[in-house]
Amino acid sequence: MKNNIIILGGGQAGIYAAREIRQNDTESNIKILSEENLLPYERPPLSKDFLLDKKNEDDLYFHSIEVLKNENIDFENVLINKVDFEHKKLFSKNEDVYNYDSLLISTGSDNKKLSLDNNLNDDIYYLRNLEEAKIIKEKVSDKNKITIIGGGFIGLEIASSLSQLQKKVTVIEIGNQLMGRIIPKQIADLVQNTHIEQGNEIILNKQIFKIIKKNGIYEILLNDNSIIETDFVIAGIGSTPSVKLFENTNLKLDNGIVTNQFCETSIKDVYAAGDVCNFYHPFYERNMRLESYQHAQNHGICAGKNIAGVKTEYTSIPWMWSDQFNLNLQLTGICYDYDEIIARGNDINNGVIYFFLKNKIIKGACGLGIAGKVGRDIRITSKLTEKNTIVDKQILSDQNQKLNKLIQKQ
Amino acid sequence: MSEENWIEVGSTDSIEEEDLIRFDHQDKTFCVYRLTDGFYATDGICTHEAVHLEDGLVMDDEIECPMHQGIFNIKSGEALSPPACEDLKTYPVKVDNDKIFIKID
Ligand SMILES: Cc1cc2nc3c(=O)[nH]c(=O)nc-3n(C[C@H](O)[C@H](O)[C@H](O)COP(=O)(O)OP(=O)(O)OC[C@H]3O[C@@H](n4cnc5c(N)ncnc54)[C@H](O)[C@@H]3O)c2cc1C
Ligand code: FES
Repeated sequence: MKNNIIILGGGQAGIYAAREIRQNDTESNIKILSEENLLPYERPPLSKDFLLDKKNEDDLYFHSIEVLKNENIDFENVLINKVDFEHKKLFSKNEDVYNYDSLLISTGSDNKKLSLDNNLNDDIYYLRNLEEAKIIKEKVSDKNKITIIGGGFIGLEIASSLSQLQKKVTVIEIGNQLMGRIIPKQIADLVQNTHIEQGNEIILNKQIFKIIKKNGIYEILLNDNSIIETDFVIAGIGSTPSVKLFENTNLKLDNGIVTNQFCETSIKDVYAAGDVCNFYHPFYERNMRLESYQHAQNHGICAGKNIAGVKTEYTSIPWMWSDQFNLNLQLTGICYDYDEIIARGNDINNGVIYFFLKNKIIKGACGLGIAGKVGRDIRITSKLTEKNTIVDKQILSDQNQKLNKLIQKQ
Repeated sequence: MSEENWIEVGSTDSIEEEDLIRFDHQDKTFCVYRLTDGFYATDGICTHEAVHLEDGLVMDDEIECPMHQGIFNIKSGEALSPPACEDLKTYPVKVDNDKIFIKID
């Protein structure tokens, strides 16, 4: 049957969903509506190789317009600012109306903003999209001292890139470790050491009390009365799901759009995927929200299948990475609910991994190493986690023994 | 094919099944794989970013990059999963007297 399928949000989850629908449904109309006037592109390089000039805009796109044309996927640059779920309609700012039979919401997430009580809100820069990356790149070019508020992934990746551009970087983090919401302290401390060795200043356990501007220079007052002087301020203090549009509708929201394991929302024929979702994960038997490349891609594909009528559960074990300096950090599974930790390796040149176990079953792992050194073992851990494996701890802890053995045995 | 371009990589038992070894020749790096149906060779560096695939995971006919999980088909070099999108170059392989050779052009 020929349907009108609309994908609201032309990011990673949106484009993967669109192509997956087309794989399974050659008839329906598929239209991506995107606020950004850019074909879907990869965000990870924005804080890394794009700032470093190792990748340019053209390197970021997932697909060319020809690929979309060949697959008969429409792409329209429009900001949707009203929805009517009852009549299956979306409205743009100019009152253009878009009718759908099935809707996928993949609006991603928005950066949390600092709220300063003076007029400096516009002086603080954030990074979520290509436009903002271009602005930051241009603005920092003649600046020397840069302060980053927030020691999460994006803040630290920017800190790494700017340090490589010979900037004097200070990172201010409110918590007692870097990347505290997700990454185990053992790995966070190794990352911190690398930043310090590379000349970045890392300030933990400090809150911003006030920012003032004097002769073009910012003074950041911290809660211990110390003052950081800086030429430019970037904040990376987390994100929230982009759900403002749905706040006064009957779409069920709770830390994002609530979906089941089939990417279905509380409203019939309305699906959601990617950063915007608080989705049910059947393996963990609970809801979770993830902001990662692999998740956006796989969740988009899963939503695409379900929209096209191929009923598919979303079961991917979480995995994410962050690249800082020449280090690659990876995390899989759940690393905060455990009763035993096993370490593998102690030198980041060869890779250091911590495995997290509960009742002898492997639940997740987090590793750090020179580019690529921990990838294989982290990937194997995802497979072991998926199968609730009771692992041979001696093999896990001995870097001379390949973990491939553990998956081959199954 | 001229004989001179066949370069000896090592003995067949130097690679476990469903695994790979790295092979450096002049200024280039290759990966040589042992799959269930024979030996194969590709460039040793991921086409996404300059990372050695020797640390990747071999599964069936695929090599998964250890950095961002880009996936390539080992036999054809085809990039199967992003962020890898450019294919990996492949090279002919032959086995002679338990020794593996790859043909480098
Ligand atoms: C700087 C940066 C670095 C990152 N690095 C990594 C990394 O190293 N590793 C990793 O695993 N993950 C990383 N991520 C996370 C990853 O990129 C995201 O999880 C992923 O992009 C989420 O995909 P999505 O499709 O859900 O949302 P997005 O890619 O954010 O796409 C959502 C799109 O919807 C549009 N939209 C929103 N509202 C509307 C509306 N009302 N009308 C029309 N369009 C709308 C938005 O403009 C946007 O284009 C990074 C993210 C950022 C920002
Ligand atoms: S370096 Fe291989 S996928 Fe990125």
